[in-house]
Amino acid sequence: MQVLIDAASTGSLYALVALAIGLVFGVMRLINFVQGDYITIGAYALIVPSAAATPTLFIGLWPVPLAIGGIMLIVVLVALATERAAFRPLRQTDPSTLLISSFALSFLFQQTMMLVYNSRPKSVDFGSSLAAAVAIGDLRVPGIQLVTMATAAICGLALILFLRRTSLGIEMRAAAEDFGMAQLLGVRANRVIALAFAISGALGAVSALLIVVQTGTLDYRMGVMPVIYGFFATVIGGMGSLAGAALGGFLVGAASQLLQAWLPGDLRPFRDAFVFGLVILVLLVRPEGIARSRAARERV
Amino acid sequence: MKMLKSGMAAFAAAVMWVGVAQAQEPIRIGFAVAESGWMNAYDGPPLKAALLKIEEINAAGGLLGRKIETVIADTKTEREQAAKAGTELVQKGVDLLVISADYDFGAPAGLAAQRAGLPAFSLGAADPKMGVQGVGNLVFTANGAAQVEGIDMAEWAFKRKGIRNPYVLEDQSIEYSKSGCAGFRSAWKKLSPDHPIAGSDVFKNDDPSIAAQITRIKSTSPAPDAIYMCSFTPGGASVTRQLRAAGIDVPILANVGMTDDYWLGAVPNLSNFYVPTFMSIFGDDPRPELNVFLDKFTKKYGARPESAYSVLGYSLIEQWAKAVERAKSTDAKAVVAELEAFKDEPLTVGPTSYSKDLHIQVNRPLLVMEVQGGKHRSLEVWRNEIIPSTQLLFRIGE
Repeated sequence: MQVLIDAASTGSLYALVALAIGLVFGVMRLINFVQGDYITIGAYALIVPSAAATPTLFIGLWPVPLAIGGIMLIVVLVALATERAAFRPLRQTDPSTLLISSFALSFLFQQTMMLVYNSRPKSVDFGSSLAAAVAIGDLRVPGIQLVTMATAAICGLALILFLRRTSLGIEMRAAAEDFGMAQLLGVRANRVIALAFAISGALGAVSALLIVVQTGTLDYRMGVMPVIYGFFATVIGGMGSLAGAALGGFLVGAASQLLQAWLPGDLRPFRDAFVFGLVILVLLVRPEGIARSRAARERV
Repeated sequence: MKMLKSGMAAFAAAVMWVGVAQAQEPIRIGFAVAESGWMNAYDGPPLKAALLKIEEINAAGGLLGRKIETVIADTKTEREQAAKAGTELVQKGVDLLVISADYDFGAPAGLAAQRAGLPAFSLGAADPKMGVQGVGNLVFTANGAAQVEGIDMAEWAFKRKGIRNPYVLEDQSIEYSKSGCAGFRSAWKKLSPDHPIAGSDVFKNDDPSIAAQITRIKSTSPAPDAIYMCSFTPGGASVTRQLRAAGIDVPILANVGMTDDYWLGAVPNLSNFYVPTFMSIFGDDPRPELNVFLDKFTKKYGARPESAYSVLGYSLIEQWAKAVERAKSTDAKAVVAELEAFKDEPLTVGPTSYSKDLHIQVNRPLLVMEVQGGKHRSLEVWRNEIIPSTQLLFRIGE
C-alpha cells in the first residue's frame, strides 16, 4: 500500500510537468525544455538573490497563499517573456529551430542562475510542516505526498474545465487540433500561445514548490530531470494529447518508484535504464503513444 | 684580441648576473582550478586557504629565500579547458601545478604537469587514481581516500555508539559516494563478521523522491538502529529531510560530503546526525592548530571558510613547502621523493603519509561531529584502525 502511495505521488509530480510540456507542444509543436528552468526559477524565487552558501528566505517567508501567488506570478511572467522574446519571432520557422532556441534559452537561464546564486546547491526550510508524516491507519505517509497528489488532481481538473467550459479554452483546443485552421476561423494565435505559456509557467511554479517542500533543496540543475521525465511522458502519452501527457507522466513517475521498490538489489542501480526501456517498449507497441491526438495523426 | 677580452668579460658578467637572478627569481605556483562554473563552489574555499598559506610563507621571508608567486588559470569547470589551463601554466614555467578538487576535472590539468615532468597536487580529489596508478607518479591529492570516510564511520559507530544493525543508503551518482559506502561495507564485515548490515539500497543524487527506499527501510526487520548514507549535497540533504519527514529518527551516519551547516536549512532542527570531517569551522575543534587556521582565515577574508574542505588547500601548500625545504630545491624528482618520505608528518590538517605507491591518505584522522537540534558540535578525532586494501581503494574487491 505504501508503495502504491509512493508511486502515485511521484507519478502526480511528473504528470504536472508533463501537462505543462504537453500544453505548449499542443499549440506550438515545441518541446519546451525551458520548462525545467521555470521550475528552477520558481524555486530560487523563494530566497534572496545572493551567492551566499546559506540562503535567506525572501518570498518563502511570506504568508503561504501570498508566497504561492508570488512565485506563480514570477514564473508566469518569465514564461510569457520567454515566449515573447525567444519563441514568437521564430514561430514561422522549422520546429527544430524552435527546439534549438529552447535549448539555448535553457542554457542561458542555467548559467545566469549559477552566476547570481552560485553553483553550490542551497537548502531552504520551506513548508516543513507539510513534509511531516501523517498517520493514515497504520501507514505513516509524508504529508507532502498527499499534497502532491491532491495538487496534481486539482490542476488537472481545473485545466480540463478550463479547456472544455471557457471560450479561451475552446480556442486553445482548436489551436491544438489544427493551428492553421483555427487561425483562419479567427482564433488569435498570439493570445492562445501566450496563454499556453502562462499556464505552463503556473504549472512550473506549482511543481517547483512541491519539489522544494519535498527535498528542501535548490540546485540550478534541479529542473533538468523532471523535464526529461516529462518529455518522455508526453511522448509515451501521445504527442499533442493533454490527457495522454498527464497519464504518461503519472505512469513514468509511478514506474520509477515501483521499479525502485520491486527490482532486486543488484539491478536497482539501473532503475532509470529500466524506466526508459519501458518507454521504448510502449513506443514499439503503440508508436503514436497511449492516447494519440487527432492533430498528430493527420501529420503522420 | 681586445674585442675578445671584452667579450669574455661581458659573458662572465652575464653568467654572474644570471646566477644572482636565479637565486632571487620567485618560485611560481600555478593554479589550474575552476574560477567559474559549478566546480568553483568546491575549488574556491581550498584555493583561498592555499593563497593564505602562500601569503604567510612570503611574509616569513619566502621559500628557500625566494618569494612565491601565483598564477591562476580558470578551468571553467570543463575538462578540455582544464587541459588547456594546465598546459598554459606549465609553459609559463611553474614549479608546482595545483589542480581541481575532483578526479574528473583535475586529471586533465594533472596530465599536462605529469608530461612536463612537474609535480601536481589536487585541492581535494578523494580518488586514489589521482596519483601513481592513475594520472602519474608526480601527482598527489591533498585529500584522503573516500573509502576511509566510510571506514571511520563504521568503526566509530560500532565502537562508540554501539550500533549493531546499520542500513546502508548508497548514492550511485558518482564514484566518491560509492567509494564511501564500499569502505563502510568492507569495514563492517571486519567489525561484525557474524552480524551483517541490516540491508542496503541505492538512490541518485537528483532523485526528487526516495519514497520507495524509505518504505523498504521501514519494512526491514529487525528495524535498523542507524543509517549510513554516503552522498553529497544537495541529494544527501534531500534524503535526510525525507528520512526525518517519514518518521525515521535513528542516527544518520554520513560522509565528508555532508560536512558543514550550509545545507541544514533543508532539515530544520536536525538531530542525531553524525558526520566525519577535516575540521570544525565552528571554532570548537579539539585540535588548537585548526582553530588558529580558522582565525587566520576569518581575519584575511572577513568570514569563516564556507566549508571544512578549505583546510586541505592550506595544508597542500604547507606540505609542498616542507618538501621543497628538505629537498633544498623545487626540482620535481627531489620534491616528490621528500613527499614520499612523509611518515605521519604533522600538518595542520593532521598527520600525513605518502609512499611510492600511494599519493593519497588512507590513515589520516578525521573529526567526528554531531548535529543536535540543528547545531554542530565536535565529538572526537578518530583514526581508522582498518586500513583499506589496494583492492578496496581501486574498488576491484575488498
